[in-house]
Amino acid sequence: MIYGKMWTVVKPTVGIPLIIGAVAVGSFSVHYAILTHTTWVSAFLEGGAKTAAAPALAAPVAPVKK
Amino acid sequence: MSDGKVSLTGLNDEQSEELHRNLIQGTQFFGMIAALAHLLAYIYSPWLK
Repeated sequence: MIYGKMWTVVKPTVGIPLIIGAVAVGSFSVHYAILTHTTWVSAFLEGGAKTAAAPALAAPVAPVKK
Repeated sequence: MSDGKVSLTGLNDEQSEELHRNLIQGTQFFGMIAALAHLLAYIYSPWLK
């Protein structure tokens, strides 16, 4: 397997957290950038709030007699 | 090194290759799940549309 012997040189206790950490940080920053630069991710996270936040219909008012 | 001698990290070639196999397999599993999640995100969101 290609690079299979790298762990004879790189300590697994250093290399594996480094790789996983780099992936985690990269992934988090990309998703955070998408969250802060688009409207549809936050809208999705809001759930049904888009419809719930719609202004409530005003109650019908009886016509005023003159 | 494969004849029982230890390396810089204390692992021999077989141990290193076994660890690497598992790491690659885990990466492939993670990648598959991530690809599926991105496909669903592409289908159900305005992403790239």
